Amino acid sequence: MSRMLKLIQNEQAKIYIRKSSWVMYIILAAILIGFVFIQKNFADLNTEYQNDDWRQVLEDKNKKLEKEMKKDEFAAEINPLTIAKNNYYLENDIQPEPYDAWQFTKDAVLMVSSLAGLFTIIIAAGIVANEFNWGTIKLLLIRPISRSSILLSKYISILLFALYTLIFGLIFSWILGAIFFGVNGLNPSIVAETANGFKELAVVPQIFINYGYQLVGLVVMATFAFTISAVFRNGSLAIGVAIFLMMGSSTIVSFFLDKEWAKYILFVHTDLSQYAEGNEPMIEGMTLGFSITVLFVYYVIFMLLSWIVFTKRDVAGQ
Amino acid sequence: MSLAAIELVDVKKTIGKKEIIKGLSFSIPKGEVFGFIGPNGAGKTTTIRMIVGLMKLTDGDILIQGNSIKTNFKQAIREVGAIVENPEMYPFMTGLQNLKHYARMVPGVTNERIHEVVKLIGLEKAINEKVGRYSLGMRQRLGIAQALLHRPSILILDEPTNGLDPAGIREIRQHIRKLATDLNVAIIISSHLLSEIEQMCDRIGVIKNGKLIKIQNVGGETTDNLIHHIEVKPLDKATQLLRDHYQIEPIELDGNLSFRCEKEQVPSIIKSLVENNCAIYQVNVANGTLEDQFFELIGENIIE
Repeated sequence: MSRMLKLIQNEQAKIYIRKSSWVMYIILAAILIGFVFIQKNFADLNTEYQNDDWRQVLEDKNKKLEKEMKKDEFAAEINPLTIAKNNYYLENDIQPEPYDAWQFTKDAVLMVSSLAGLFTIIIAAGIVANEFNWGTIKLLLIRPISRSSILLSKYISILLFALYTLIFGLIFSWILGAIFFGVNGLNPSIVAETANGFKELAVVPQIFINYGYQLVGLVVMATFAFTISAVFRNGSLAIGVAIFLMMGSSTIVSFFLDKEWAKYILFVHTDLSQYAEGNEPMIEGMTLGFSITVLFVYYVIFMLLSWIVFTKRDVAGQ
Repeated sequence: MSLAAIELVDVKKTIGKKEIIKGLSFSIPKGEVFGFIGPNGAGKTTTIRMIVGLMKLTDGDILIQGNSIKTNFKQAIREVGAIVENPEMYPFMTGLQNLKHYARMVPGVTNERIHEVVKLIGLEKAINEKVGRYSLGMRQRLGIAQALLHRPSILILDEPTNGLDPAGIREIRQHIRKLATDLNVAIIISSHLLSEIEQMCDRIGVIKNGKLIKIQNVGGETTDNLIHHIEVKPLDKATQLLRDHYQIEPIELDGNLSFRCEKEQVPSIIKSLVENNCAIYQVNVANGTLEDQFFELIGENIIE
């Protein structure tokens, strides 16, 4: 067991010693800083509702919105939603809470998880293939350690990298939010539209639920890149294919959605947030359980393929 | 213990339909330096890759200190330190980081041991520099350091003198002799340059087209039966004479006759050639006996 920890330590060292890995964190930080400025200027910060006269302010706002609707077609489309939301506040006597670090963190989930996914794919694509490129695989495999253990240590390292990146994104977005918007207590809530109309939701659990949905797709795509890397021993191929499929999957999938077998395509299931409240699954009748089963089958195939090829194939000359 | 450090038993390797290694058998006792030579493509690297478990054997077995590399990989490989082909290290890490990386993969390698090895190969000054900035010679040394970390009883060095300057080669040669003599390590050195490893080996095995065609002791060989080149005219008459009187079948080469004979025969051959009106311009004894035998054995560098 301690041997495995040391192997993981080695793999982690090889990831974090390189500058390219740190550039990923810098990019993530820079994009979050950009996002915080956008939110500062364009998000509903709810600052006007923070005094005792918030009911009055809400009613005034609704009147203003109704007036707009008569003049402007575009406003006529989107304003009813805001009005309904404002009415929900009034009817249930909930004072709108100010936009704060928690809400910003929640809004940044998709950004953080997509970038973390992208970076994890890049790392996963290289983790086996690079050893072949560098020629170091020969020195790595001639130790009293089974090939399976080496492969496992590499796989665990990828998951750790994904985890660290997500945690970094989570904490950094919270800190940015705290600096720009302040912190509204420990358990703020928001009113959001769900399948059954408006509802008051606690923000903090929402953050983790959203991360949870994104995490599944992230792990499956990283495993996919890892498999290509281990089978073809070519990092560029693994990065290219995995990122292409990650970006283009929804377009590709849309061509086949009417087919009977479409529900067995991996990319129909990688975004589990389709089962979140208020969303609809890509193919009617699919359930969360079905998606998880399909993902699991793919996952097992990827892992088996990586393992068989990596442990059985000769390491021949270039 | 009379057990061989390493023993190859009828090792075969087939890739696709092509038989790359056609039944290699040899064994190396502890403390011996074994030179493994052959032209490019003869199967040296394939054999080495099989010894260290990078490639699987199609048939036969390799026993390292009695442990089969096929069925007892971990025990077998523990005794092996190796460089396979080029000494490739992580270029973005320092020499020391590279060594620590490999040290973590084997139990019982302490920091003291790492520094001991660094000192042994004379890389103290550069050990904290990134390997990407190393010269080939420095990487070669680091490669040897990496192979020595876990005190192996068999050291396998693929082309270890590659990229070293003459001083470096001499140093490596001394290290290798010292390791074999002092620590009783069995060492396999592969090379296609016989002259470079001839001086450090106890025995040399010549491989050609996947077969071991000769195993030769170095130093102990008879110096009497040598190849001689005679520049003589006319050639046909001289050839006839050698054939009739000495049962020697000479080869014509650039206007010379080349043949193998005992040293004692030389004066009498010259005498009879002169007596039969053959003009002798020069007589040479082939130098670097092994080098010649090598080329004689290998013939042209043909890869089947």
